[in-house]
Formats: sequence, structure tokens, C-alpha cells
Amino acid sequence: MAAALSAAEKGRRVLLCERAAALGGVLNQCLHRGFGRAWYGEDLTGVEYGGRFAARLAHSDVTVCTGAEVLSLSAERSALISGRTGLFRVSFDRCVLSAGCRERPIGALPVSGTRPAGVFTAGTAQMLLNVGHYSIGAAAVILGSGDVGQIVARQLVQSGHSVVAMVEQADRLGGLARNRRECVEAYHIPVLLRATVEQVHGAGRVSAVTVRHLDTGARETLECDTLITAVGLVPDRALCRGLESGGALPDWLHLAGNCAFVHDIVDSVTAEAMALGAEL
Amino acid sequence: MEHTDIAVIGAGVLGCFAARALTAYDLHVTVLEAREDACTGITRANTGIVYTGCDTAPGTLKTELCVRANREFDALCRELDVRFSRCGSLMLAFGARAEGVLRRKLAAGRAAGVPGLRLLDRAETLALEPGVSGRVTMSLYAPGTGTVNPWELGLAAFENARRNGARFRFGEEVTRMTRRGRGFVLETPKGEYTARCVVNCAGLNAAAVRELTELPSVRIFPTAGDYLVLDDTVSGAPRHVLFHEPEEKGKGLTLVPTVDGNVLLGPTERPRESAADWATAQSGLTELRALCAEVVPALPLDAVIRSFSALRPNPFYVHAAAGQWVPEDRSISSFTLLEEDGLYSMIGIKTPGLTCAHVLGQRLAAMAAEHLGGVGPNRSFDPVRRAIPAVHAMDEASRRALAARCGDYGEIVCHCRDVTRGEVLEAIRRGAVTLDGIKRRTGAGMGRCQGARCLMPLLQTLAEETGLRAEEVTKDGAGSAVVQQDGTL
Repeated sequence: MAAALSAAEKGRRVLLCERAAALGGVLNQCLHRGFGRAWYGEDLTGVEYGGRFAARLAHSDVTVCTGAEVLSLSAERSALISGRTGLFRVSFDRCVLSAGCRERPIGALPVSGTRPAGVFTAGTAQMLLNVGHYSIGAAAVILGSGDVGQIVARQLVQSGHSVVAMVEQADRLGGLARNRRECVEAYHIPVLLRATVEQVHGAGRVSAVTVRHLDTGARETLECDTLITAVGLVPDRALCRGLESGGALPDWLHLAGNCAFVHDIVDSVTAEAMALGAEL
Repeated sequence: MEHTDIAVIGAGVLGCFAARALTAYDLHVTVLEAREDACTGITRANTGIVYTGCDTAPGTLKTELCVRANREFDALCRELDVRFSRCGSLMLAFGARAEGVLRRKLAAGRAAGVPGLRLLDRAETLALEPGVSGRVTMSLYAPGTGTVNPWELGLAAFENARRNGARFRFGEEVTRMTRRGRGFVLETPKGEYTARCVVNCAGLNAAAVRELTELPSVRIFPTAGDYLVLDDTVSGAPRHVLFHEPEEKGKGLTLVPTVDGNVLLGPTERPRESAADWATAQSGLTELRALCAEVVPALPLDAVIRSFSALRPNPFYVHAAAGQWVPEDRSISSFTLLEEDGLYSMIGIKTPGLTCAHVLGQRLAAMAAEHLGGVGPNRSFDPVRRAIPAVHAMDEASRRALAARCGDYGEIVCHCRDVTRGEVLEAIRRGAVTLDGIKRRTGAGMGRCQGARCLMPLLQTLAEETGLRAEEVTKDGAGSAVVQQDGTL
């Protein structure tokens, strides 16, 4: 949204494609505060922060297409776009890819055991809780201690659920100091450092996980009905496939936001994308 | 009480093909399946290899059927509109012992009529598969080996059998079976059936089902194996199925370039952990990674997106000793098809069971029809089934035309695999009642994010279309609810 706005302000004709039904991406599932402290000098929720940009876009010259999935980019600078209204090919001079990140799935980790229901990435858990308004389970173990994991942990406790443990293999929690303070410490989330989830139990639904303590090799079984993984984000550059030569992207293709690298706060994403848009 | 000519027990790949073959006769066929959907047992975890017949004991029924099934596989997949890649295979040797095995398999395969087999030296092997370790000394090339998606094949047979009149009853586990007159009475939690013949394709439970009316003779002693799945974008993926014949005792590595574009690594072999069926073992996953680094060092193991385990239903003859049923020392090396006065049991059908599912089904159907006597053909039998449109595989013009005709085929639900809402709706129309049922029919959730992004939209679509509440939607059947609307699970 930021790159589109600043490019349009410089007089560019801009098409903004979003595959979801609404603009904002992952901001739409962030009901917690902490957004915009740098950019607006205010403490907003993710939804509010995204909403401000969406409102500006509505009054800009940017053409916004939601429910529009870019299927591929061609070296001849065209995008193939799919949506309920059909399949379209659009030519462009420059392209900004701001597709964010995807989360590493549990299958990528050396975790053995069954594959029951009740295993979610932190982002999926957040989506189910905040967009779907579902309850995802009574007692959760959280593997990994990234920001999203900490925020989900807090939310589970706030809504009356139990977080059995947050399990982190390093000797300290990940994420921002702010989240450690406001989510983990303030809500007394039990933390197991230098430990990992080694095995998942349960036939239909998660019934327990085996945690291994890395220093002692000791194992313990934690009963739970939910396992949430917060084990890292991978920039989603699926659309770059086949366009790179010698590891470099073509000069017309630019990466913005978490799609370029994982940022700590949204305000810096905004600042970078605004600058990028102005230079297009 | 409902009457049927033939009751097929189990809707795995074998039961579905048996039902399909039976519907080619003028017979009333009812399939009783304990679970909610077809292909949810051992069919769901399979290497997906279509074997040539050079791996099994020469002169056995297994080898004879495998050679024939392989020859007919293209035609079968055209009929059922199932993707089949006849990619060929290389069996790799890294020393003298394995070379001996390769030579024996070459001779056995040729004797069984397997076409095109030949031994390749190191240079020829590496020319075909540059990712293989340079320590390779020899390989056995089998151009006829192929690969298929096991769910896709089984579900295609399910749809075709149903279209030809087979009635599928889900959630009906056969709990009692008795002989009455010349037929059978079967009880399930939902009702009672009488049948003139019973075809037992109950997979892991096949021996237990048979023993509802017969004395024990063959029982299943499963072993488990672990698999890893690599993302569909890895560089250096093998183009052929690779079998690694190890120098030491133990199971070698198998690599399969799947029809979905992934690489499948597997399987290990270890005792089944009885308490936790379908659970992978830490040791198995570690062993797989180590083997892979040794055999195909170039393959990037950081591209693993999933691990799963499979159960191998090893059949053993058992005999009574000191009041117990004791297995023989060696498992049965051929297919076990037992015919007992109207009861037909397939017990412990393992590799190459998937390859042979179609011909095994035909064989059973012929046996049952002969037993009943005077059964004519079903004149309206149509062997052709059309697949759910795979939008991602279409050319741009066809895709544009389809999306213009129906917006559901323009709306993408699974971003990794490029699966549309139209495909998901069609999967539900064809019988998907769980999230895994949708996955098996469309590939949604099988990509690199493993369903992280499409879980909620799929759950909501399934709830809307089936009238279930969100908390009633399951991942893979009873006991696997995903969310709760309020309160706790």
C-alpha cells in the first residue's frame, strides 16, 4: 500500500493487486496494539494501521484490485492475474513485490510423531482467532518464541485458554523486548529455554508433545490439545521463480517489506516502501 | 435389513477397484467403509510407484500380475483420467553385493517379461542422474517404472465404481459377520446387510474381518516406514525413480519424483509403534536424511516440507501352538487371496499392491461372479471417469475460458498449489467431507506452507457446503476437529 501510494503521488499509473478480499495482508489479523508508534506517533492496532492506508488509497489514483491473485510474472513484464471476474494479463514497466512472508511448516522441522489436527503455525492460529473468531483449543504448547508466537500466547491467556509452555531452543526468547515484556512476562507464560518439541502425540487431535531438554537430554511429556509453531518466516518470493539470472532479480522487479527481508516493526516497512515507490 | 449381491468391506484403493470391477457385472454391489471417506487407511501413505515386476519373486502370482498391471497402466490411467508419469527407474549399486542383486533382478525381470531392462555403468548412470553420488558403480535401468498419486488413483476408482452403481456406505464398520444359508449377514453400527458374497478389502483389519467367520490362517504383522517430502521447487530433483540397493543389510533409500512435482524420500523400515499408528520416528527421519546425503548428496534437504509414516501390512501364516496363534518365520512373499465359499479376502496386500489394485480387483470380481454363477455383464458399465479440472495445469487460454464461464475457477484458495475454489467445490460434490478429503482430491494444502494459509477458507467452505458447523469440520474424520466456536475442545 505504501509503495503504491508514493508511486502514484509521483504521477505513476499504479495497479495494486491483492489476493485477499481486503487490503492489509497480515495486519488484518493483528488486533493487538504497537503499530504506528514511529510512523504516526500513535499506538494503533494492526487493523487500524492498515485501515489508514486503505482509506488513503480509496482517495488516490491507484487502481485497487482485491481478490486478484498474481499467478506469474513474465520476463516480458506482464502479470497473469486470476480472480472471480476471470483471468487477465497486464503489462507493466515496473513491479513491486510485497507479498510478505510465509511461515515454515512443522514438516520442515525434525519433529516426529503423528500429524493430528490441532497443529497450527502462529499466523494460522492468529487468523483463526482474530478473523474467524474461533477458539482453537484449550491448552497450547508453543514451539519457538518469535513475535507472532508471543502475541498469540498472550491472546490465548487473555481469552481464558491455557498456554502450557513456550518452548525455545536458544538460551533466550526471540522477538522484540517489548513483546517479551508485554506478552510473556506480563502474562506469566511458562518458558522452557534450551528445549525443543521432539514428538507430537495424538490420533485425531493433539493429545501431548514430548519436549527434549537440549543440555541434559531429558525428555518430558506435556499434555495439550494444541501445538503452535512460531519457528521462522520465509520471504514469499514464489513469483520471482524463473526470473532471476545469476542470483539477481531483473532491474524492473523490486522487493518491498517482509518479502525483501523480515522486519521487526511495520513502521520501517512503510518508510522503506514509501521511499521505493517514490523512486520508481 | 438391506440385501446386496456383493458386500465389499473397505474403501481403500483395493476395495474401490474391486467394487469397480464388480460393477462391470450385472451385480448389486455395496461397499461398507468404517471411515468417512474412501482411501483413508494404508492407501493414504504409499510411495506411489508403479512397479515393473522385476523386484518380486519370479514365478509368483505377484510378479505375474505386476507385469500385466504395469503393461496396462497407461490405458487404465487414460480411462480414469489419472496422472501417470512413466519416468523409468534406476536401481543403484555402490558395490559388489548390490551389483549381484541387480544382475539377479535383471535376469528375473527378463524371465518375467519385463521390457527394456538393462544394466548401466557408472558413467551412463551419472549421465541420466547427475545428482547421484559419484561412488555409484552400476545401476539397473527399468524404463517401465512409473509413478502415480495413490489417492488420486484410488479416488478415481471410487468415483467410477459409484457412477457404475456401487453403493458406498461410509461410517459403517462391520462389527459382526455370520454365514446364513448360502450367504452372509453383516452388521454395522448403522444397520444390517445380507449378501451373497463378501469381498474383504479391509486393509490392516482384513485378517480380523476374515476371522469374524473363519479360523485364523493369515495375519498381518505391520512394520512402519517414514517418509520425507521435498518442496516442488528444488533444483537437482531426480527425473527417474531411484532405488538404492544398500551394501549392508537394511532397507535402501527410494526417491520418487512425484506427479505433483515433489520429491518423495523413503521409506525406512522399523517395528510398528503399536500405540501410535501413523507416527513417524525420530530415528527413521534421521536415517532418511543420512541415507539421502550419501546417495544423492546434491539434493537440498532444507527443502523438506513434510514427513509422514506408512504401515506395511506384512502377511504371515499362523498356526496354533500352546493356545496361541503363532506366525511362521517368514512372511508370505506373494499376494494372499483367500477364497472360502463366497468369502474373498485380500490380506496383507503390500508392494506392488497399488500397481496391481486394478488387476486384483478384476481377478476377485471374476472369482465372485463365477461363484455366484450365471452372472452376465453390466451393459451400461462405463469405465471412463473425468477428473476434477486441475486449473493450475491448464494452458492460459483454457484457463481463461473456464474462469470466464465460472468465477469459482478464477478464485484461488490454495496459493502454493494454485488451487481454485471451483476445484474445492467440485471435490466436495464428489464426496470430500474432511479437510484431508479436499487435499487428496485437489492438492489444496499440499504446498510449501502446508495449509497454513488455506486452512481457514477451506474449513469455512466445507462448513458452508456441507451444512456442518465449523467445529464439526474435521481434518481427517472423527476426533480430529480443528476449531471450536466457543468454549474448549
